[in-house]
Amino acid sequence: MSNRSNGTRGGRGGTADGGRLRAVAAALAAAGLALAGCSSSPAHPVSASSDARPPLTIGISLSLTGDFSDSGKSAQRGYQLWARTVNAAGGVLGRKVVLDVVDDTSSPTQVVTNYQNLITKNHVDLVFGPFSSLLTVPASQVAKRYGYAFLEPAGGGPAVFSQHLHNLFFVQPAPVVQQGDVFADYILSLPSSQRPTTAAYPALDDPFASPIAAEVRSRLQAAGIRTVYQQIYPAEATDLSPVVSAMAAKKPDLVVAGTQSADAYALVKAMVQLKWAPKLLYLSNGANDPLNFPKNVGAGEVDGVFSSGDWFPTATTSGNTAFVAAYTAAYGGTGASIDSTSAEAYSCGQLVQEVAAKMGKVDNATLISTLHSGSWPTLEGNLSWNDDGAANASYVLVQWIGGKLLPVFPADRAQTAPVLGKLPWSG
Amino acid sequence: MHETIQAVILGLLTGGVYALMASGQTLIFGVLKVVNLAQGALVILAAYLSSSLFDAFGIDPFLTVLLVAPAMFLLGTAVQWCLLRPLHRSDAPQLSLLVTFAVALGIEGVLTLVYKSDYRSIQPGYVNRSWTVAGYQVGEVRLAACLLSLATLGALALLLGRTRFGRAVRATVQNPTAARLLGVESGRVAALGFGLGAATAAAAGAVYGMVYSFNPGSHYDLISRLLSIVVLGGLGSLGGTVIAALAMGVVSALVGALVSPVWSDFSFFVVLLAVLLVRPGGLFGARLRGAL
Repeated sequence: MSNRSNGTRGGRGGTADGGRLRAVAAALAAAGLALAGCSSSPAHPVSASSDARPPLTIGISLSLTGDFSDSGKSAQRGYQLWARTVNAAGGVLGRKVVLDVVDDTSSPTQVVTNYQNLITKNHVDLVFGPFSSLLTVPASQVAKRYGYAFLEPAGGGPAVFSQHLHNLFFVQPAPVVQQGDVFADYILSLPSSQRPTTAAYPALDDPFASPIAAEVRSRLQAAGIRTVYQQIYPAEATDLSPVVSAMAAKKPDLVVAGTQSADAYALVKAMVQLKWAPKLLYLSNGANDPLNFPKNVGAGEVDGVFSSGDWFPTATTSGNTAFVAAYTAAYGGTGASIDSTSAEAYSCGQLVQEVAAKMGKVDNATLISTLHSGSWPTLEGNLSWNDDGAANASYVLVQWIGGKLLPVFPADRAQTAPVLGKLPWSG
Repeated sequence: MHETIQAVILGLLTGGVYALMASGQTLIFGVLKVVNLAQGALVILAAYLSSSLFDAFGIDPFLTVLLVAPAMFLLGTAVQWCLLRPLHRSDAPQLSLLVTFAVALGIEGVLTLVYKSDYRSIQPGYVNRSWTVAGYQVGEVRLAACLLSLATLGALALLLGRTRFGRAVRATVQNPTAARLLGVESGRVAALGFGLGAATAAAAGAVYGMVYSFNPGSHYDLISRLLSIVVLGGLGSLGGTVIAALAMGVVSALVGALVSPVWSDFSFFVVLLAVLLVRPGGLFGARLRGAL
């Protein structure tokens, strides 16, 4: 989900989450690196048939310590799970996959050094991307310099695509700023009698939140839905009751909020406490977390809330059922506890497998030329890319229904129809 | 008008929560002349402990204060005794900033290792309930926080004003050398004072965890607000802290609701700067400093 693609600090859009841990994390960096080293190739089973051919080495720099370490480790789990799965099936074209994972400590400087070393010293065959747009931008330049394909799971910010890199492939359905488009599509698909007439757009001051609300606003305004409230709140604002109070006074039918996680929770809690609910509520992030949203706002307050995202455990996309089963078997938990970053990373591996199967070879030039044509099934849906590496698909609209987060739009990826009912606290 | 009055109510209630959190900060400064940069982290630590007790045993968050406060008291006393007491007297005010910041980072690191960095909040059944009074919404937990804040501050006032320990604290605050000459064990008083300040974080943490979502990094935003409140109130003044916290809450809520949330926090700092220009010691600093 796009908050995890955040190039700033995550959560409250870059306030302090996880953050500024470098002093503490530095002490753990060595251990993290050791773990990363241990966790690559030796742990993976090797099939007898794959021993005869040289391994396929894939270099990856990940944030195993520092600000993005939680998400970095999620990506690592996804990559490792794919490698383990493909090796158990005989590898890629008979070549055992070996992951060369190094820690970038969430630093955009270190990530450059890492990819430079992976390519020029370790001579890896392929590279996969790091976590966050912040690190993807400099890392993709290194890959470009050496002619490497750059399949990246978590760099969806505008800065990534404005580089116009032909070797880059963002393995999510669309750039992050388009995350709310699917909600606008849904609203505009409603018959005029059901369509809201007024809307409010509160948004977090964050490059991965406010542009989403702005994009939806421009489309809904153009369709005649009047904007009655529009404000950006700073990342430091922990109490959003005044925002909700002011918004409620304008009585909008619809609220489209550009959010990350904590501010999404704060908005809902404030609405509940002020006993005010719009007819429709869309939160770009936060509400798309099946585990933490009900924990933070109360399980009884979630029904009816819309959000959107790139991957969900119940998705019917290619290989998803097997992925969820393998993930929970390997790491425990349930589908709901899988961070979408793991699915995004796993999907990078799926693409390599598919290109290899189709072309009978796997190298960087083949990956770049082949992925630029056709559509490729992954956990993230069927992906194709424009010249800048942005995928051309759509996010999935989800809604909390009966205490579950379910895909509801577009129809081809929906598990059920959206429910137009009152929010639980509206009385 | 309705919007304005509702914003004032929200601001007062939010201010009450912050008064509770800042009371420990001002107590520690009053006793030790230490700007405790770990106070926000102590509040977050208490929020996690309260959350764990609620999740694991179903203990009401307000009741968890009875269990968490002694633990925080011991932690605070240990921090003062082990880390702050050895500092050389002439360098103590400066070095204590580094030491308490290190403590904050340590707490954040441990919390991240144990709980990860996901946001969480404490969700008892009543957490989102509010009363409707003349058409205005009054959050139950926030009101309870205000009352708890007043109760905590009242208990502190009684402790400081009516007990032998309190007299020792006040004597130490007013004149450490004279207090020592009169037999006050200033080292012990300092440790207990720091422990007491840390213990107030227990109540603050339980309330904070119910009102806001938090993660291990939440203390950074918190500490900047707490320091601002303590400075505005007058360093070391409990009464001033309460008034400053309420002022912060009301000003921020009014600006957030009526002008723009972008200027909400900034507006409080404008007030802070304006007050400091006129009264460099803060609202009650000159008159009450040393008296707590």
